[in-house]
Amino acid sequence: MSLKSISANMLKKKKKMAEDVSGNNHAQQMLGFNLDVPFPSEREASIALNSLSPDREPRKGGITKELVAVGNVLSVRWTADEARVLRVSVGSFLDHLALVLETMEAFGPPIS
Amino acid sequence: MQSSSLTRYEQQDALGVAMTVVIGFEGSANKIGVGIVRDGEVLSNPRRTYITPPGQGFLPSETAKHHRSVILTVVREALDEAELSPADIDCVAYTKGPGMGAPLVTVALVARTLAQLWGKPLLGVNHCIGHIEMGRLITQANNPTVLYVSGGNTQVVAFSERRYRIFGETIDIAVGNCLDRFARVIKISNDPSPGYNIEQMAKKGTEYVELPYTVKGMDVSFSGVLSYIEEAAHKMLSSGQCTAEDLCFSLQETLFSMLVEITERAMAHCGSQEVLIVGGVGCNLRLQEMMGIMCKERGAKLFATDERFCIDNGAMIAQAGWEMFRSGYVTELPDSWITQR
Repeated sequence: MSLKSISANMLKKKKKMAEDVSGNNHAQQMLGFNLDVPFPSEREASIALNSLSPDREPRKGGITKELVAVGNVLSVRWTADEARVLRVSVGSFLDHLALVLETMEAFGPPIS
Repeated sequence: MQSSSLTRYEQQDALGVAMTVVIGFEGSANKIGVGIVRDGEVLSNPRRTYITPPGQGFLPSETAKHHRSVILTVVREALDEAELSPADIDCVAYTKGPGMGAPLVTVALVARTLAQLWGKPLLGVNHCIGHIEMGRLITQANNPTVLYVSGGNTQVVAFSERRYRIFGETIDIAVGNCLDRFARVIKISNDPSPGYNIEQMAKKGTEYVELPYTVKGMDVSFSGVLSYIEEAAHKMLSSGQCTAEDLCFSLQETLFSMLVEITERAMAHCGSQEVLIVGGVGCNLRLQEMMGIMCKERGAKLFATDERFCIDNGAMIAQAGWEMFRSGYVTELPDSWITQR
């Protein structure tokens, strides 16, 4: 659940985003961004999913965000028209994720 | 929000042993608070305020950052002070709105996560109802006309035909917003709050400066008053026509007269004999004094609370949550989105 593993993951994803951005210059392609966050257990991944899902992206914001939990991994997939909007959404999601992780560290593990 | 069967509580009620403990999370503006209420008793209510430098207001993302940095400490304090463990909590209540988006999300995230970690039901509470229910709990007012005055809201509310109904309100900015922004213009400190510092300075004011007075029926407008004083302040201060203290005094007298007038009109309208002042501006003693004079003339009773319960706090969300939970409400996680309005 450490944030280090996430940032390592993030670096890889950032490279992927850079490729997508360059692709966008040639065609009317959407930008994409994937994030996988491993949790200690399936239960914790599901808690994070339920905590982070309810607040939707603005409908006309030119961005969509999908969250799913598969096993102990929380996966997030963004698609956006512009890199600027994508950066803001990913940035604020990481703040939110960090707070959920801190809450789990301070008051977890979940009762069975 | 959905109604659910609360067999356990019905059983406890039947036995006469029901004790319902609710933890409440508030963070719709620059205060972050966590409070615990057990059957009308406030067990703990710690709070932190995000204070900006003089001349500056608080912005959503910086405020959310502040809340994120302290919220878990405040939760721990609330539990320790109440001498309770998470297992003793029956329900986790949080502010669903209205308020600033980013700070609301911060607090909702922690409330959702804790509710799941602890295996407790979640409950989204309307911020305004929180203020009113807290005021009623503390003052024991029975059926008051409520003046709700804060940095974001200015409303005259009364309970009529099974609902809180708004009789009058501001048609532009809130009274607290008018005071806060005036404080910024003449660089009054935001610590502990701009309103408190204006109140202290106003006590030393001697000269009354005439300002626009805008009441229409049971509605008020403050934006014109603000524009006027923003424009006039520097000229009058630099020419020595009046002091900053005189301006604080004059602004308070004008704004509060308007509020007393619309409250009196709403009371006459509903035939009410009680007034309850809630919201952050409600702890201003000059406002309470002016309202008290009006109430005395009408043979009515005034109820008000101090800064602990007037200013945004966690216990008010816990108290409104307690009422709702006991009536069978819970908020399912997918419905727990926050709302700015």
